[in-house]
Amino acid sequence: MNRRTFLKASGAASLLAPVLIREAFAAKEQSLVAVAEGSDYPAITRKAINAVGGMKKFVKPGDVVVVKPNMGWDRTTEFAANTHPQVVRAVVEECLAAGAKKVKVFDNTCNDARRCYVNSGIENALKGMKNVECKHIETERFKKVAINGHFLKEWELYDEALSANVYINVPIAKHHGLSKLTLGLKNIMGIMGGSRGYIHRNIDVALADMNSHFKSHLTIIDATRILTAHGPQGGNIADVKVLNKVIASTDIVAADAFATTLFGLRPADIPVTVAAYKRGLGEMDLGKIKVVKA
Amino acid sequence: MKRTPARISQLFFLALFLILFTQTEYRGKDEINAAVNSFFRVNPLVLFSYLLAAKTWTWLLLPALLMTVATLVLGRFFCGWICPLGTVLDLVTVHIRKSAPIKALGGNTKYWLLLPLLAASLFNLNLSGLLDPIAILLRGLTFLLHPLLGLAAQESWVSLYHLIGERRDSIAPAYTLVHDTLLPFRDTIYPLALFSAAILLGVIALERFETRAWCRHLCPLGTLLGWLGSFSPFKRVPASLCADCGSCRELCPTSFTGNNLVKEECVLCMDCQRDCPHERITFRPGLALKGLGPVQPGRRVLLGGLAAGVLLAVPAKFRYPERVSRLLRPPGVRSEDEFLKRCVRCGECMKVCLKSALYPAAYQAGIEGFYTPLLIPRLGYCEYNCTLCGQVCPTGAIPALPKASKQREVIGKAVFDKNHCIPFARKTDCIVCEEHCPIPEKAIRSREVTVIGADGLTRTIKEPYLVEEICNGCGICENVCPLESKAGIEVFAVKNRTPISGEPASPYSS
Repeated sequence: MNRRTFLKASGAASLLAPVLIREAFAAKEQSLVAVAEGSDYPAITRKAINAVGGMKKFVKPGDVVVVKPNMGWDRTTEFAANTHPQVVRAVVEECLAAGAKKVKVFDNTCNDARRCYVNSGIENALKGMKNVECKHIETERFKKVAINGHFLKEWELYDEALSANVYINVPIAKHHGLSKLTLGLKNIMGIMGGSRGYIHRNIDVALADMNSHFKSHLTIIDATRILTAHGPQGGNIADVKVLNKVIASTDIVAADAFATTLFGLRPADIPVTVAAYKRGLGEMDLGKIKVVKA
Repeated sequence: MKRTPARISQLFFLALFLILFTQTEYRGKDEINAAVNSFFRVNPLVLFSYLLAAKTWTWLLLPALLMTVATLVLGRFFCGWICPLGTVLDLVTVHIRKSAPIKALGGNTKYWLLLPLLAASLFNLNLSGLLDPIAILLRGLTFLLHPLLGLAAQESWVSLYHLIGERRDSIAPAYTLVHDTLLPFRDTIYPLALFSAAILLGVIALERFETRAWCRHLCPLGTLLGWLGSFSPFKRVPASLCADCGSCRELCPTSFTGNNLVKEECVLCMDCQRDCPHERITFRPGLALKGLGPVQPGRRVLLGGLAAGVLLAVPAKFRYPERVSRLLRPPGVRSEDEFLKRCVRCGECMKVCLKSALYPAAYQAGIEGFYTPLLIPRLGYCEYNCTLCGQVCPTGAIPALPKASKQREVIGKAVFDKNHCIPFARKTDCIVCEEHCPIPEKAIRSREVTVIGADGLTRTIKEPYLVEEICNGCGICENVCPLESKAGIEVFAVKNRTPISGEPASPYSS
């Protein structure tokens, strides 16, 4: 069984009996969210990863890994519109240390790709690293894939994400005008092509569709600084709050649910989180999530 | 081509032109230090028409003033030593068999081109860029040849992917290198592309009749330089063909049609001096000999040229109002009139535009606005943090502004079309425009409203609205609107382009 058939099967299964599956998982393993705090961002990133089992648990020698940060906006690091370059670099280094053959870092940007890659600081942070690619999106690599979701029936997804052995989702926690917050579940849009604005018409269901079709093996939320208003691109330093936190979990919904609390909100306030929870993609009940300080 | 100092200089400047051309692009830095605008800033035709039209001075054109002085002293050396279009002509002309020169092009034709252009400038119609040789070359390259090259490379690269898939990655570094240094970043198809290339090819095609026919009989920059150069104290001695030889007629690329050297057509290539079988020829300063002083076009040409300029200037101003409503100028252009007086129509802003938002106006701005840049938001928007168009504009028609100032400059104002905009027309969520609005305080905001959807059910959705005072008209909202064809929000031109908050000094005060 290769990865894609596994995903298809698990997607289909989750459609048929989401509640049962959730219960089954809950019985076996409690969702674990690791939170590391400190001003040394590479160090706290490593701590968070180690607290959920270490990168070797996810990346096997010879694997091709996609690390998907948020670098969609032409804003510099301090504006908290893109994932912190040091966090991205630390994740990439951990992947390489675990034996990854190749690590690919990209995003389907909203502003000019060149400016986003440069001004996010991510391209420069990865410069010169062996076996690491930080290339712009090439539109011909989007492949139409059957999603068979409630809202999205099929969509164009990026082939480098589809063919990777491991997909690590590295969003920044920030405010969003429509979905209130953008976290792990929404960061998946970076591998989507086509007219992404269409998704906005039913964003909660669309993102649940996407995340049940395409799973993140590990979600690492950059909350070193968060954007509290005028998201997703901000631009005003007054909207930025420095928290010096990095969150990691294999349960994307749990990671998002915990990150929501950093904004003074409850997971139930975020329709995207609720939709994903109802779909059985993870746990959003903070009482059932095991939060460990890393 | 012979290896003479003039030829080496020509090749050097052609190479420089092409290198600067490829440098006129975003390459990971917010500043472009050397752009192809140097060739316009050193261009006396640009200087003269600017001074006549704008009736003010700009330090940007100091190099052109120096070139004017150098031409007054040395003669028309620009055409034989620097002009990249002249070099292109010299390179191809050896492969073109000549028929007889076109008679109609001789005589005063060149003045009938130059004088109306300059006179029209005086009456605020600055069209000299339309016939400026550097602009003709640059527009041909920018609007057709370079995009064509880019498209061909891109298409081959994509077909390679369809052929061999991810194995293409093995040669990706080579393609990336070529793409990052030589090719345009994205494929852009420009209006007037074929026309621009046709003009360039037309100039080259004139070589069919005579060597450097364009330069001798039409080029307004060449004519101006020739006139300035006729004041030069440097003379070629002897001034006419020697009775016993006459080789000069064969050696000279430009100025010997009859027996006498036509000084204002001599491009100082010095081939005659170098190759004279008798070593008789020198270029040396001397007093003006009778009949060899500065040339002056006849009074009839002078008055006629002036009159033609005036006649051109007035009707060219006509514009259809409905076209003007969507006539969006690059950021920092506050006054349409001041802009038109300064714009060279060289195409550099359109070449450098990061998001391919700027296109040459074909009909939108009337005759007076032909080839001037206009922003088409549905094709590309003005990137909030980018200031490149102002940096490469050779005359400051688009002012070079620091980022913080440029972000406040008003291009236009966005307007919702509630018959199209999704939350209004279809009663479902969207808000893509708000998400993309780059203004930190958001010029597009939304409020929750309860509506009855098309299905008859009551639901809460977010309806967008515009905070007009802080909209700078960048056009990203219109660009990203997920509706097909017509957008639900569109940017319209406004007369009052006072910056959105905080009033910096007028961008035109230099």
